[in-house]
Amino acid sequence: MHNDTKRANEPTRARKSLQATAVASAYQKEWFNGLRARVEAGEDFGYLNADVPMEILRAMDIPFVVNQWWAAICAAKRMTPKYYSLLNAAGYRDDLCSYCATALAESLDPDDKISGPWGGLPSPTIAITRLTCDCQSKIFELFAKNHGAEMYVMENTQPRKVPPNWWELAEDRWEELYDKDRLDLAVEDLKALIAYLENKTGKMFDINKLVEVMNLINEQEMWYKKIRDLIAKTSPAPVTVVDTINAVMQAQWQRGTKWAVEHAKSLYEEIKSFVDTGRSAVPDEKLRLMWLGRGLWHDFAFYQNFEEKYGAAFVWSMYLAMGADAYIRNNVEADPLRALAARYIGMEDFLHMPPWNANWFLKEARHNNIDGVVYMVPENCMQAVEGSYFIKKTLEDAGIPVLLFKADPVDSRKWNRDTMTGLVEDFIETRIIMGGKK
Amino acid sequence: MGIREYARNSKAFQRLLHHYNNREEAARLFRQKGGKVVGQLGADVPDELIMAAGMFPVRVYADRDSKLTEADKYLEFSFDPVIRAQFEKIVDGTYSDIVDYLAISNSTDVIIRTYLYLKEIRRQEPEKPVPPLTFIDWLFTRRMLYQVRNEFTIDLFRQTLEEWSGRKISDSDIEAAAKICNEDRTALREISELRKARKPRISGSEALVIIGSSMFMDKAEHAELTRQVAREAKDWPEIDAKRIFLTGSAQEYTDLYEMIEKYGAVVVGEDHDWGDRYYERDYNTSYSPIRAIVDRYMLRSFSSKKAFVSQRVQALDEAVNASKADAVVFYVNMYEESASWDYPSQKKSLENRGIATKAFVKMAYPITRNEWLEDNLKKFIDSLKE
Ligand code: SF4
Ligand code: SF4
Repeated sequence: MHNDTKRANEPTRARKSLQATAVASAYQKEWFNGLRARVEAGEDFGYLNADVPMEILRAMDIPFVVNQWWAAICAAKRMTPKYYSLLNAAGYRDDLCSYCATALAESLDPDDKISGPWGGLPSPTIAITRLTCDCQSKIFELFAKNHGAEMYVMENTQPRKVPPNWWELAEDRWEELYDKDRLDLAVEDLKALIAYLENKTGKMFDINKLVEVMNLINEQEMWYKKIRDLIAKTSPAPVTVVDTINAVMQAQWQRGTKWAVEHAKSLYEEIKSFVDTGRSAVPDEKLRLMWLGRGLWHDFAFYQNFEEKYGAAFVWSMYLAMGADAYIRNNVEADPLRALAARYIGMEDFLHMPPWNANWFLKEARHNNIDGVVYMVPENCMQAVEGSYFIKKTLEDAGIPVLLFKADPVDSRKWNRDTMTGLVEDFIETRIIMGGKK
Repeated sequence: MGIREYARNSKAFQRLLHHYNNREEAARLFRQKGGKVVGQLGADVPDELIMAAGMFPVRVYADRDSKLTEADKYLEFSFDPVIRAQFEKIVDGTYSDIVDYLAISNSTDVIIRTYLYLKEIRRQEPEKPVPPLTFIDWLFTRRMLYQVRNEFTIDLFRQTLEEWSGRKISDSDIEAAAKICNEDRTALREISELRKARKPRISGSEALVIIGSSMFMDKAEHAELTRQVAREAKDWPEIDAKRIFLTGSAQEYTDLYEMIEKYGAVVVGEDHDWGDRYYERDYNTSYSPIRAIVDRYMLRSFSSKKAFVSQRVQALDEAVNASKADAVVFYVNMYEESASWDYPSQKKSLENRGIATKAFVKMAYPITRNEWLEDNLKKFIDSLKE
């Protein structure tokens, strides 16, 4: 079905079925062109790492791009091999931090305006990252220097408290979720960021704008929660991760805008209509799989490889589920900065720390009726190291088999689809089917 | 040259070398006498506070040839080989009869993860012999906001130590301990002067032993022995060799130094945690104790893990100047990635100033596994002599 147009040596392109994905793709390009125009007209332009509380820039109407989103665009445009060779030529290693270093590599490209994705990245004036790993600030500093931007960093703290059920506390009871002093510090960090941005851009921060942004995000994420729940309870599933990852992520980077709310709503409506009309992604769905790890931006078709042969559908990835469980903060009016702090400091804990992550994956696996988990541990990222032993153990102790393998999410040079396909097929056959779950 | 006969013949140096080679001996003895020992994982666990609590600080280090059964089971590939070997010893029970507690500092990313994993092992698999542990969540970005936060963090550590030791730690306890640590650092600086002199009297291998032994023995005794060595070394023969500065992965053993010093070069300085960085910056006795601890550990020279590229470039330039090095060797273990981002800028800056550089990256551990290394080092040193 999806490989009828495949040419030799060219990986099959993933089939795209959702209108919402097409709409988002079109929108982000249009939005990016608008952003470029603003930057060219002389506005300050922020380049942010994904873990930076972008809500502040949104509320201040400072145009910005998120590093991981841009890396995904570069990967989708298959620019990464070229970029890594540029890194190499400049004396850097080309086998490190691929995900985070894509834009740094791009900044070394003298032809970026011609050959870069969408006309290349306009030069930022501000580059902001958090110190959630040892390399990020170094990469951001080098990137900022190449663009003539200022670098700003925010710190990161480790939890002492470890609530077993963060997803139950996150929306309303964040004071119970975190150590008080961590929240206090994060609020101060936000204030310092605001002061810096005011100084740099000449714009004044308005707390009511932040409330508005936070509420728009709540609304958007509420739609993701509905989508997550709908997919969880519908078998065969109306859509797979191939449909949802891009549709959700593209809009997540636009979070805090009316467009993003509308988009999330339309995504829900589209998927709901599939359910109502009995349309499913893999009509012959026999197995439901969970994908752990970052998205395979350069080879989405991989996820579909197991549908025909085994009726195995990848129905879960963290992208949609994080939207559903990790973002909503109710009653932000009471203390908007603290509510925001209670969101951004948590992402690291939720995603990258055992047992926060392991417990949540298990809860989600059960909620989504998952038969097996395919878990990709990136080889060269310390931040994404998240206790794979504990995750695997938690899931397998609960009777859910896990296939764990190493791969690099962005660097297609290292990706060998045939090997990976073989691994997953073997896993499905020996661990899931013969393992006797279905 | 490495460790010369003059050093080996010195009674004081012999004592230091003994503790360097028998790293657990003093801790065991302290424990046998009923004292409590705190293992330190990471370079930023304040000795002063542990000593003030009446406990004995001892550094966790890697065994070079241990089998990594536990590490392979629990850790991902991207944990560097040194931390893997350290983790192994903690989880396989090697430390069970050496330390009572483990204090872990946020000195690099991988240690944070290691802490989380150890904590989970204790929670989920309590039969494993992992000692009770605590984490010191240092923030190294130099802003007042974070400095104040660090004071909070260090105060928490003080409270933990009070619980562990079962006694109150008074300000004067801390000051007394700090005085000993400062004296030890002063003594180590005397060694440093002899090592960095135009004509060095102390080799890099000797210095590494003198510095490293401090992590395993009574600090007052160490200070005394170090002063003694410094007095004697004034009469040791001058070393005439190419001067190398070493940056990159911490060297817990002298192997690499001895390899370099075998071929007519001497390591006159380094910026890793088992070398010069260990005794840099004193506890400021005019500050209140918690402030002084934060000041000492937060503001000493930048570590390769917790600093921006520009900071590292400047720090290395300055350290190389101070040690009057002819060349810089970058030596980075596999999976210790962050320094690799500093390297191209550092190299450029050094070479602009006429300092030769040589990089060894993605190195296997222990160094003997890199068969080609010795040859390449020799070639590099020979090239300096031309
Ligand atoms: S270690 Fe991971 S998170 Fe950090 S810069 Fe590298 S790829 Fe990014
Ligand atoms: S959701 Fe995960 S992969 Fe995406 S930016 Fe955040 S940490 Fe990176």
